[in-house]
Amino acid sequence: MSNEMQYDTERVSRIFGKFYESDRPWIEMGAQMHDHAMLLEKVPVKKFYWDANAFLASLYEVAAYYKIDRPQPQADNYNFEVEALGGKMIYSDSAMPTIDHRDTLIKGPEDLHKIRTPHFYRDGRLLYNMDCVKFSVNFGNKAGWFCGPFSLAVGFVGYVPLLKNMRKRPQFTKDLFDLIIDKVLIPYIRTQKEYCGVTAAFGADAWSNIPHLSVAELEDWIVPVNQKLIAKGKEIGVAVSCGSGYYYEENPDNLNIDLLFKSFDIQIASRGGLPYLTIFPYMPDFPYKRVLEYAAKYRDNAIKPIVRVMLDARLLRNGPIEHIVNVIKRDITGLARDCELGFFLSNIPADTPPEHVHAAVAALHTYSHKPIAQNPDQVEFHLPHFQTFEDWKNDNK
Amino acid sequence: MSEILGDLKKAVLEGEDELAVRLSEEALKANISAMDVSRTIISGIGEAGELWKKNVYFQSDVVMSAEAFRAAMEVVEPHLSAGESGTAGKVIIGTVAGDMHNLGKIMVIAMLRAARFEVIDLGEDVPGAMFIDKVKDLNPDILGLGCYMTTTMLEVKDIIKDLGQKGLRGGIKVMVGGVPTTQEFADECGADAWGKDALDAVEKAKQLVKAVS
Repeated sequence: MSNEMQYDTERVSRIFGKFYESDRPWIEMGAQMHDHAMLLEKVPVKKFYWDANAFLASLYEVAAYYKIDRPQPQADNYNFEVEALGGKMIYSDSAMPTIDHRDTLIKGPEDLHKIRTPHFYRDGRLLYNMDCVKFSVNFGNKAGWFCGPFSLAVGFVGYVPLLKNMRKRPQFTKDLFDLIIDKVLIPYIRTQKEYCGVTAAFGADAWSNIPHLSVAELEDWIVPVNQKLIAKGKEIGVAVSCGSGYYYEENPDNLNIDLLFKSFDIQIASRGGLPYLTIFPYMPDFPYKRVLEYAAKYRDNAIKPIVRVMLDARLLRNGPIEHIVNVIKRDITGLARDCELGFFLSNIPADTPPEHVHAAVAALHTYSHKPIAQNPDQVEFHLPHFQTFEDWKNDNK
Repeated sequence: MSEILGDLKKAVLEGEDELAVRLSEEALKANISAMDVSRTIISGIGEAGELWKKNVYFQSDVVMSAEAFRAAMEVVEPHLSAGESGTAGKVIIGTVAGDMHNLGKIMVIAMLRAARFEVIDLGEDVPGAMFIDKVKDLNPDILGLGCYMTTTMLEVKDIIKDLGQKGLRGGIKVMVGGVPTTQEFADECGADAWGKDALDAVEKAKQLVKAVS
């Protein structure tokens, strides 16, 4: 049991916790940054991904260094459940554990008995994940984390076999999803509620997006499964949502507005009706106006839609800084005055230069400072004085 | 004859792997030349690629088509003479150590084979030393390195460096690909090309081989 855990709460609370003490006058920057934090803090893989204390202390330290408002205190949400149930994994000394898709746990209906309710305090690294969730509850984030049903099914069966089964063995696939919900996810969410104190839970589901799946596959399979999970979550008093239906398209010639709107429909249906729209504006002429147009129908009904902008991790890594700053300014200009906005650094690459992350955070905090300027070109932006991580730590002992 | 081949093309295009295998066997039994059967299978995956470009097909459709292509080609390849397959060049491909992701690789392999490349797939989680050994033993025209995590992409640099240290870099072209990679990353590593996606990878592979010959 994690009673033995010793967080360095004093340090993290002092350095990082101050961000949570008051409303920030800018749009918040969220970040998934586990690999980057591990490298920057020079924590060995076998410690970082097994020891919640080491993970959290490093992650929040790095978040404070960058002034990231909302770090995502999770390592990776695609492996824990499969690992806990005995799925074969690849453990390396340089990267986080990952599922071995060459030899999956479930190969056919005869293996379905392997999907059982894990012992959440003993099996695999589920407790590690729950300790991370529990710790973030201290900072007001009352959402638990799990692997979304489709991505979990991919973890159990493999992506290609799962696609084949959806087409050729629908009953087996349906049974698989039912077991995933009833035996694994609902008990896991219930345990997170009891152990961590969460009132909401989010299922990471990167496999169930466009173009990984077609709109028809998302509508016919993923949305009904997600909605079943959401309904069962409601029965146990947890607001469940799933991150399905995002639309990635980087080629402006291929960007399809119908697909974008379908993607929004699927995202909302997978979030229990909450108009929380995630976009990937990885192109110069992203159609912000069309996003606002879609969001308007919710605003008209007095529901405030939230748009979450994912920043391109490759841009963050490669730079140059001027480009990073301009992209953030462009996104704010396109959207921020007309809707609630959130920004997210989507999995900061391990070897990203720290100057790039500092610039991104500073750009967001400057250009989105409330009230947001009518003309962002009149806002003065200064790159923050750069300190290495080591120097910063010395100054903040 | 044309009916079987029409159905075969449709089976590959629609990702019906079992049907594509059966129709390939039937076509060979009906004395249709292996080359014609092979061309039909290739036209099926080629059309899937075109539909992908046009946003009609999604990745799931292309992957299923690639699977049907692979299964059908396994039936036909033993019947092709040496000069009829793999004439565009030889490619060794694999996902680097610590990384199990292979979705992009499945599509790249199918598209390369459709473009008449001989492809040797080393699989996933491939140690750097194995890439080096295979390059030494098999003397490919191109080495393709796939990485899909931001930690494992660092392996790519080491492998390319190792090739150089072992005197193997001059004889081959190196391509990199995978979600976190970019042209900038390929340049940093000293790779010869970056494949943005499967279709782009094939075009680059063709250019690299052409530049050498």
